[in-house]
Amino acid sequence: MSFAISTLEQGLVYGIMALGVYISFKIINFADLTVEGSFTLGAAVTAKLITSGVNPIFSIIVSFLAGGLAGLVTGFLNTKLKITELLAGILTMTALYSINLRIMGKSNIPMLNNKSILDYFSFAGNYRNILFFGLIMIFLVLLTNYFLQTRTGFALRATGNNQQMVRSMGINTNTTITLGLIISNAYIALAGSLVSQYQGFADAGMGIGTLVAGLASVIIGEVLFRERNILWAVISAVVGSIVYRGAIAVALTIGFNPTDLKLLTAILVVIALSLPGLKKIVISSN
Amino acid sequence: MLKLKNVSKSFYKNTPNENQVFKDLNFEVEDGDFVTIVGSNGAGKSTLLNLIAGVYPVDSGSIMIDDVDVTSYPEFKRSKFIGRVFQNPLLGTAPSMTIDENLSIAYSKGAGLSLKMGLNKKNRDLFKEKLAELGLGLENRMKTKVGLLSGGQRQALTLLMATFAKPNLLLLDEHTAALDPRTANIINEITNKIISENNLTTLMVTHNLEHALEYGNRIIMMHQGRIVLDLKDEKKNLTVQKLLKMFNEVNGSDFVDDRVMLA
Repeated sequence: MSFAISTLEQGLVYGIMALGVYISFKIINFADLTVEGSFTLGAAVTAKLITSGVNPIFSIIVSFLAGGLAGLVTGFLNTKLKITELLAGILTMTALYSINLRIMGKSNIPMLNNKSILDYFSFAGNYRNILFFGLIMIFLVLLTNYFLQTRTGFALRATGNNQQMVRSMGINTNTTITLGLIISNAYIALAGSLVSQYQGFADAGMGIGTLVAGLASVIIGEVLFRERNILWAVISAVVGSIVYRGAIAVALTIGFNPTDLKLLTAILVVIALSLPGLKKIVISSN
Repeated sequence: MLKLKNVSKSFYKNTPNENQVFKDLNFEVEDGDFVTIVGSNGAGKSTLLNLIAGVYPVDSGSIMIDDVDVTSYPEFKRSKFIGRVFQNPLLGTAPSMTIDENLSIAYSKGAGLSLKMGLNKKNRDLFKEKLAELGLGLENRMKTKVGLLSGGQRQALTLLMATFAKPNLLLLDEHTAALDPRTANIINEITNKIISENNLTTLMVTHNLEHALEYGNRIIMMHQGRIVLDLKDEKKNLTVQKLLKMFNEVNGSDFVDDRVMLA
């Protein structure tokens, strides 16, 4: 039971990150590597603020905004300075590593003795984390779904499809790309903030591998829900995250070492991404 | 309406591959004109439309649309004045979005980004009505993703989207060239209907000389970056043979376009 609960908890909290990855990779079709930096940024800002005695809710809001700022930087590098999207993301991520250490002042901040947002939900006992993560997830799914149905949401989705068309409809694709990156990285920093409060510490290296984990979640979600409208596409990223955490938990119980997990995740993503191509090869060889 | 003044454009400037497409080109279009553009290979027909649309900047000269100097405007800003349909049916629509979502983007063209819902009862009713006018049955498939439509259907939708906001200027860049002849005829008829109903000022590049003569009230023929023939009142009595003969007389060379359709 506790196994299922912790899987669900992790699936939900990391699902926020999966939503962020979904927005950059799938909605605006931008392979954004800022993720690993902005995830840690959210955790670093939160840990610093909470251990300085700042209210957790306020800390979360500041983390969210800081993530948006990281996305803005990547967007600026790509759309204004014309740096390719992969490199723009890598540059921001690398810069953020130093910035995160500056913010934290050391590589690890424990905050087990400080009040976290989860403590507001202590009345729910063992279901404290699930209740909070579940509520915030429902809110974010509805918010994201609403946003993607607005005119601005349409413009972002079209940008990921066909930038030429978006420009000929009088919309500046630099704006839509940057806006997508801001929202995506704000979500990811929010996930970082909540994860740090959930596990009770922030660490400068906690972002490593988060991008591939987020991507795995999005891809698993896509496989599970094929034909779908936007609401289901958003939900599928979250469900993908829960399934992914479940798979990780299973891998651990059958004896894999925790340090093997990133390798397993990478292999999982490679298989999922190459499936359509492999299918073609198999079909044409028959 | 549209005024190009002393427009010059080179590609690969200051390299051995430098290619000067236009040198001091002057070209004017009056309000309500429907101009068909034909020309030999490399005459600069598509480049002309791209310069007007702002896909790339001019080297020198100016472009005015309705007395607004748009020379320095980037592409997305010029779209305020311009509706455009490309040769490639894939370029005008967003494939993973539904028909009504695509139309919504066209419908709110120029309104800027906002948090208003993209679709509501009112605009969906309007989309349905406009789609029905195309006569392709798309009004019953508004929730279909555009990527599932045929090239002709997508091109018809693109045409509707490009003209939704009644642009000051409509640019058609061989927009039926990638379609089979039957579908091309349907799209041409729809094009003509939309243009005449809305009295749109239009530039249409085509390789089909019959179409070039059949549609529009003015024809220009281009050759090596120059406008060598520009006929308005005489257009009615022209035939393809006469047109080719005139081209030959002004140029001293034969009209060469390996994609041209004479029949």
